[in-house]
Amino acid sequence: MLLAENLLEELKTIIPQERIKEKDRKSDPLGNSGKITVLPVTEEEISAVLAYANEQGKKIVIEGGGTKRGFGGVEEEGDILLSMAEFKGVVEHTAGDMTLTVKAGTTFNELQDFLLDYEQQISLDPPLREQATIGGIVSANESGPKRLGYGSSRDAVIGLRMIYPDGTIIRAGGKVVKNVAGYDMNKLFIGAMGTLGVITEVTVKLRPIAKYESLILLSFEEQDLEKIRAFSKELLDSSIEPVVCELLNPSLSKKLIGEEQYTLAVSFEDVESSVHYQEEFVKKMKPDGAKLKLLSGMDAQDFWRIFSAIAPNGNEEESFEEAAVKIGAVNLTIVDIIKESRQLSSSFSVSAEAHGGLGHGISSVYLKGESKELLKAITHLRKTAESLGGYAIVKHLPLALRKEIEVWGKKPAYFFLLEGIKKKIDPKRTLNPKRYVGGL
Amino acid sequence: MAVKGIKTKDKHIHGLAKLVGGQRAILYHKEDLVAYDCDGFTIHKHLPRAVVFPKNTEEVAKCVKYCATHNLPFLARGAGTGLSGGAVPLHNEVIISLVRMKNLISVDLENRRAVVEPGFVNLKLTNSIADRGYYYAPDPSSQYCCTIGGNVAENAGGAHCLKYGVTTNHILGLEVVLPDGEIIELGQNGIPDAPGYDLLGLMTGSEGTLGIVTKITVRILKNPEAKKTVLAYFDNVTDGSQAVSDIISAGIVPAALEMMDKTAIEGVEAAAFPVGHPKDIAAVLLIEVDGIAVGIDEQITQILDVCTARNVREVRAAKNEEERARWWANRKTGFGAMGAISPDYLVQDGVIPRSRLPEVLERIEQISEETGLRIANIFHAGDGNLHPLVLFDARIPGQTEKAIEAGSACLQACADVGGTITGEHGVGIEKREEMRFVFKDEEIIAQTNIREVFNPGNLLNAGKLFPTPGRCGEVKKEMKEALLAQ
Repeated sequence: MLLAENLLEELKTIIPQERIKEKDRKSDPLGNSGKITVLPVTEEEISAVLAYANEQGKKIVIEGGGTKRGFGGVEEEGDILLSMAEFKGVVEHTAGDMTLTVKAGTTFNELQDFLLDYEQQISLDPPLREQATIGGIVSANESGPKRLGYGSSRDAVIGLRMIYPDGTIIRAGGKVVKNVAGYDMNKLFIGAMGTLGVITEVTVKLRPIAKYESLILLSFEEQDLEKIRAFSKELLDSSIEPVVCELLNPSLSKKLIGEEQYTLAVSFEDVESSVHYQEEFVKKMKPDGAKLKLLSGMDAQDFWRIFSAIAPNGNEEESFEEAAVKIGAVNLTIVDIIKESRQLSSSFSVSAEAHGGLGHGISSVYLKGESKELLKAITHLRKTAESLGGYAIVKHLPLALRKEIEVWGKKPAYFFLLEGIKKKIDPKRTLNPKRYVGGL
Repeated sequence: MAVKGIKTKDKHIHGLAKLVGGQRAILYHKEDLVAYDCDGFTIHKHLPRAVVFPKNTEEVAKCVKYCATHNLPFLARGAGTGLSGGAVPLHNEVIISLVRMKNLISVDLENRRAVVEPGFVNLKLTNSIADRGYYYAPDPSSQYCCTIGGNVAENAGGAHCLKYGVTTNHILGLEVVLPDGEIIELGQNGIPDAPGYDLLGLMTGSEGTLGIVTKITVRILKNPEAKKTVLAYFDNVTDGSQAVSDIISAGIVPAALEMMDKTAIEGVEAAAFPVGHPKDIAAVLLIEVDGIAVGIDEQITQILDVCTARNVREVRAAKNEEERARWWANRKTGFGAMGAISPDYLVQDGVIPRSRLPEVLERIEQISEETGLRIANIFHAGDGNLHPLVLFDARIPGQTEKAIEAGSACLQACADVGGTITGEHGVGIEKREEMRFVFKDEEIIAQTNIREVFNPGNLLNAGKLFPTPGRCGEVKKEMKEALLAQ
C-alpha cells in the first residue's frame, strides 16, 4: 500500500491531480489493469509519465477504450495504467488530400462520424468500433470482413506519432500517401500491442464513402459446405468486385439473421448501377438450394453495425467467460476452419460463433463456456489451424486462463530479431510487459 | 586453394567462386566490373570488388556467410534500375547479383498468390498470369526490366498505386538471408498478420540494408472487368491541378491519375513514343478508371464534366485499347525521353499533399529560374508524387553540381509543405542528407537502431539511406554512449 501511495504522490508532481485515479475495483479478471490510472490530455504529460516510469522501473499498461483488456499479458496489473481515453480529437483533416490525423484515444465511431460530413471514411471495419480507439485498433492491427476490399490497419495508416519509453517523441511515416523515406517504421508499431511505444497520433488515408452498398446473404444446408467452397472460388475468379466474401458458421448466422445455416456474406460498394449489376451476377450464380437474402443501403449498414459488436468486449462482465481466437490460414481453407468451429460444440462444452474471409485468410472464433473447456477448444482450434499451415492467436481470454496457454502460440524462429528490437526501444521493459509474442 | 580458370591473387575471389560453382558465376576483372559501378543513379560511380551470381538461396547464404566471416562489405543487386544509388558499391563491396534467381516458383490463382525468386522481372509476372485474367498490381515505369526483389527493397510504386497501393501492400511473404547468413522466413505460406513485429513490412523498402530477399510471395489481383482512360489538355497548370483535386473530391478513386507539364511533353513528343500532344499546352492529364463496366461510364462522364469546368482545352476518352496503350507507353517512357531534349537529366521523387500542388509547382519553376536549368515535371498527381526532371549537361563544368542542388531544392519545397523526399525511388545515396528535411536526429537514430538489430556489423550495403557520419546523429549517439561509459 505504501508503494502505491508513494507512486501516487510522485505522479501528482508530473500530472495534474484530477487526471490521476486510484484503483476502485477489487479484482480484474481480465488483468492488464494498474494500481493507479492516469488520464493524460497532452503529449507532454504522456511523455513525462513514461520518462518517470522508465527511470523508476515502474511498469506501464496502456489502454484505449478498454475493449482489449483480455488480449495478451499475464499480469493482473502494472504500476500505472495509462489510459488514452481522454487524449482524443481530430488534429488535422484536409478533405482535398484525403488524409486525417487524430489523437490516439479517439474512438473509431467518433472518427467515422466526423468524416461523414465530408462523405469520406477510413476504409477499415474493426470490431467493437463504438468503444475501440484508433490507437488500440492500430496497436492490434485490427481488420474485419471488409478486409477483402479495404485492407487492414497496416494498409490504412500512413503516419504515427509515438512516444518511446524514455519519453522521446518519434514520428514515423508522414502525411502523404506515398512515402519511402527511411525504413517503414509505421509497420513496426502497427500490431505491436503497445510494447514499443505509446501511439499518440495516427494519420490515415481516407476513401470516399461508396455511393451505394448492398449485402447478399446466402445460406446453405449443412451438407453443402463443398458447394460454398466451389461457389466462392467461382465468385472470386469472376470479374465482380466484392468487398466482403465472409463465411459465417450456423450459430453466428442464427444470431445475426435467424438462419441456423452456413451463410456466406457477399457485399458490394460502388456506384448504384455497378452494385445492382453485381447483385444480379450473384443471383444468377446462386447454387440450387441456397437461400438468398438481399440487404441494401441502411439495412446493410445496420447489419455491419451489429456485426461489429459480436466480439467479446473487455468492458463487459459477460466477457469474463468468453474467448476470442484469431486464425490466419490460406484463403480457401477458411471453409475448413469454419466447419471445425461448428463441430467444437459437439466435442467440448462450449458455444462457438465464427466467421472467416475466403478472400483474405483471417477468421475469428468466439467461444463461451467453462474455463477448462475453453482451453481445450482453443488448443483444438490451434491444432487445426497449424495442420492447415496457419496460426491461431487468442485475442480475448480471462487472465487466469491466459496463464495456462500461449496466447501468441510458439515463438517464431526469428524471435531473436523481435527481442533485439524490443531491447533497443524498451530495454527496461517498461511498456505493456509480457503482453506480446514470447513474453515481449 | 585456387579455383580453376580464375586469374587473380585475391584469395577472396577464389573463396567466393568456390561457393557459386566456379569461374562462370563470378566477375572480378576491372573491365567486367565497370558495368556494376552504378545503378540508375549515375552520378556516383565506384567499382565493386567482385560480382557473384548465386543460383539459389543456399548459395546466397554461403556468400553472405563468407563475407561476414572475412569482414568483406557486400550488397545485393537486381536489375540495377534503381534511381537513388542503392546498389552502388561505396566500399568496394562484393555484389551479390540475384539475376540468376529468376524463376516463377508457383502460382496459386485460387488463393491469389504467387511465389517468385528475387530476380524475376516485374512485368513477367503479369504476363505469366494475364491469360487467366490476373495481374500483379505494382507497376513501376521500369517494370519491363526491373526485378521484384528490387521492388521489395525499394518498396516500389508505379502509376497505378493510387487505387491499389505500393509494393508493401502486395507482399505476403519473404525468405530472407540475414547479414550473418542465417535464412529466415517471414509470412509463412503467404498468410497475413503472422504474430510478432511486422518484419515483413519493415523489410519491404529497407533498401537492401537489413537482409537479402531470396524468395517472395506476392498477392495477385483479378483483372478489372473494364478500364477506361481519359486524356485532358490544359492551358495552365493550376487548372490541371485543380481538376485533379476535383476528380478526387467527386468521390472517384481513379486507378491512375498522371500529369506532365510543358517541358515533359516536349521530351516525350521528341522521343520514341510520340502521340501527338500539342506543343503549346501547359499540362496533360492521363486519367484511368477501372472496375465494373456499367459503373465506369458514369465516372467518365463526371471526369469530363470536372475537366470542362476547369477550362480544359480538349478532353477525350481513348477510342480503343491500342490508343490507351500508346498513351501509356508515352507516359511510362517519360524519364528516358528527356534524353531527346537534354544530354543529361536528374530525376527527383518528392511527395506533397495533393492540395499543395499549384504552389509547389510554382516553387519548382522558381528553382528552375534560379539555377538556370530547365525542369520538366512528370508526376503521379493523384497521390501527390512529383518527379521533377532537372535537365543539364554534365560536360559543362559545374552543371552537375547545380543540377544536384536544384533537385535538392525541389525536395526541400516538398518537405516545406508537409510532404516527403521520396515516394518510390528510395533514399539510396542520393537523398541521404535530405533525410534531415523530414526527420529529426532522434528519428534517424531510431531507424539506425533497428538496422543494428539486423545488420550489427553494417557490412551489408553500408552508407545508404541515412545521413553520412560526421554530421549525423549516429555519431552524436556514439559520443553520448562513450561519455556515459566513462
